[in-house]
Amino acid sequence: MSEQLLDVSGLEPPEPLVQTLAAAEGLPAGTYLRMLHRRDPCLLPGNLSQRGFTFVQRPGRRTAVEVFIWRENDAAAEAAARATLAAENP
Amino acid sequence: MAHLSLDQTPPLSVPAPYLLIAPWFAAAAGIWLALAPEGFAGRWFPAALGATHLLTLGFMGMTMLGAFQQLLPVLLGAPLPRPRTVAAAVFLPLAAGTVLLAAGLGSGQTAPLHGAMGLLSIALAGFLPVAARALLRAPLIAGTSLAMRFALVALGVTVVLGLYLAAGHAGPGISRALTDVHVTWGFVGWIGLLVAGVAYQVVPMFQITPDYPPALMRWVAPALFAGLVLWSVAWAVFPAAAPLLAWVPALALAAFAGATLYLQQKRRRRLPDVTVAFWRLGMISLLAAVLLWAVHPWPGSDLLLGVVFLVGFGMSVVSGMLYKIVPFLVWLHLNNRVLEFPALRGRIPPMKHIIGERPARWQFRAHALAVVLLCTASLWPAATRPAGALLALAAAMLGVNLAGALWLYRRIRNAANTQHGRD
Repeated sequence: MSEQLLDVSGLEPPEPLVQTLAAAEGLPAGTYLRMLHRRDPCLLPGNLSQRGFTFVQRPGRRTAVEVFIWRENDAAAEAAARATLAAENP
Repeated sequence: MAHLSLDQTPPLSVPAPYLLIAPWFAAAAGIWLALAPEGFAGRWFPAALGATHLLTLGFMGMTMLGAFQQLLPVLLGAPLPRPRTVAAAVFLPLAAGTVLLAAGLGSGQTAPLHGAMGLLSIALAGFLPVAARALLRAPLIAGTSLAMRFALVALGVTVVLGLYLAAGHAGPGISRALTDVHVTWGFVGWIGLLVAGVAYQVVPMFQITPDYPPALMRWVAPALFAGLVLWSVAWAVFPAAAPLLAWVPALALAAFAGATLYLQQKRRRRLPDVTVAFWRLGMISLLAAVLLWAVHPWPGSDLLLGVVFLVGFGMSVVSGMLYKIVPFLVWLHLNNRVLEFPALRGRIPPMKHIIGERPARWQFRAHALAVVLLCTASLWPAATRPAGALLALAAAMLGVNLAGALWLYRRIRNAANTQHGRD
């Protein structure tokens, strides 16, 4: 399975950020993180960039916002994330 | 909400002095009440005027201006230019001006009033243009940006009228009716609009409620502001229409309070949370204040209205917000330094441990009891002394809780600095 799912939509700040960063840092090679949130995670982009992650944010189906996150140098994870994004947004 | 680059968050030293000192102004007001209860038999008594300004400028003004400087970049992505310089240039004259104003109003002496007018003019002249410029450049966030802009205009109107009234106090005398306009712009305009604007963001975010209805966010602030303008014009040129027009901002505030209470009932997580309790007390007080304002049940009910609005609504929501904002800022600023100081990793406490629920809950109980006793004292003056003592105690507990959080930040940061230096 190349996707890890994390739903932080019921958590109070800063738990969504804490849990997302912890999950991202624990990603195995070739796996991306799909994070579900009810709000625009305003602090997340800066924290991800600082830690060497790339992300794509879009409106979600189950929650208001979905963020796809992978390591900058993990080509397999990036390919898997982009394939999912393309398949879900034909 | 705007995406925020980490270097956009102002340093903690920007809001910290404001948030640290604010509760002690409220404590001073409580001590004043307790030691000289005879000075609070009516809203026009000198001691009542002095203590009121310790609460409005000292507690509410300090926290709201301090939080504004931090929240503008965080909530709206609108950083203030030179945040350290602005914060320092506003803080000292605001603090000293508040002390002198309270002393001047309480003693009836003109020299402190002259000093207060100068210092408060410097503070607000330093803050208002910078905040206005940042707000005008901020991206429009549903409801919040507009409410904050109107709130800033209301603050400007309140200050200009306040300076005019202070000049009257220090010279030929004042118009009591104009004082009502000053109070209304300060309470309903500045406090009401700013609380509503911030609530649209922080209530759903921190209390895990659904969002406010878009129509409410779109209409409350403009209706409130337009209602205030129309009420003020009517007050000046056609006073008979003023009571009728007062219903417009009153109903806007009631709609906001009702919506907030409804959203709180829809919380997704029902964990104990002192902020929810503070906001519930605040919104119930706001509804009671709206009722008192609209009905005006007896000639001296103004004092009760002031207590219910300022202490029951204003102080409650601000205290509740501080229990989220301060731990969040401590956490945020420690987290921002993790990459610079890897020693911090694993040492940042969870937000709920930065100020414990237990001391916060005890402070809430003291505050709620102070609200009840102050309301009682406005009807039965014999209760003034214990009401003042309890207000002072509750404010001091808040001050200790906030100082503890900032002390924790300092301790963890210094420990990381030391370890980093050793490495």
